[in-house]
Amino acid sequence: MPGIRNCIRDLRATHGMTQQDLADRIGVTRQTVIAIEADKYSPSLEVAFRIATVFAVPLEQVFQYQPPPETRKR
Amino acid sequence: MSNIFDMEPTMPNLTYEERSLYGMLVANLAVYIPYILQSARTNSLGRIAGTLFLLIVVQIVLQIIIAVATRNRLQDERDQLIRLRGYRAGYIAFASCIVIGLGILWLHTLLGPLPTQRMAIHFLSVMFGMLIVADVTRIITQLIAYRRAV
Repeated sequence: MPGIRNCIRDLRATHGMTQQDLADRIGVTRQTVIAIEADKYSPSLEVAFRIATVFAVPLEQVFQYQPPPETRKR
Repeated sequence: MSNIFDMEPTMPNLTYEERSLYGMLVANLAVYIPYILQSARTNSLGRIAGTLFLLIVVQIVLQIIIAVATRNRLQDERDQLIRLRGYRAGYIAFASCIVIGLGILWLHTLLGPLPTQRMAIHFLSVMFGMLIVADVTRIITQLIAYRRAV
């Protein structure tokens, strides 16, 4: 998904958590965690907040949004 | 620290939803291809109804086997999104096939009046074919979306 990046992989590594562990904690499949980590799928706000809650960090520390160039000019 | 994380596969195993889709695809093709190969020679209302019944039975049996063989049957928001994409593609295929199918029927009527029963068989087999094409399109769209990790 263009524009949205995340550092879930790094946060998982810091917390010693596997993809399956995280998936179980946030109530999605491991395949969805893989897709989110690869920036191929943007989760819903609910799942995004659940991820942030699991790592006990603010949402913007997990997900970063970079607007496309034409939006940034406005 | 990164040892176990580097070992994690980037290509995920099949989820319950994907297995279920493969089951549906196999059932559709395994039942419909023999039907279409034989219907060129002999076709009847009974054959169409029998094929449809067989398709339903095979689908149920395969889905039960897949459900029993899969421990984790969790479905999440991504599954729903992919399902919606699949149904959209299936609907587009179905709508396109309706136009083509009606065109084929119209062409047949131009060749001369058809007996009512033959017309009914022809109409039903075209409708059946359109349903299968739309369903296969839906399944393949969903499987591609899963493989692309969308």
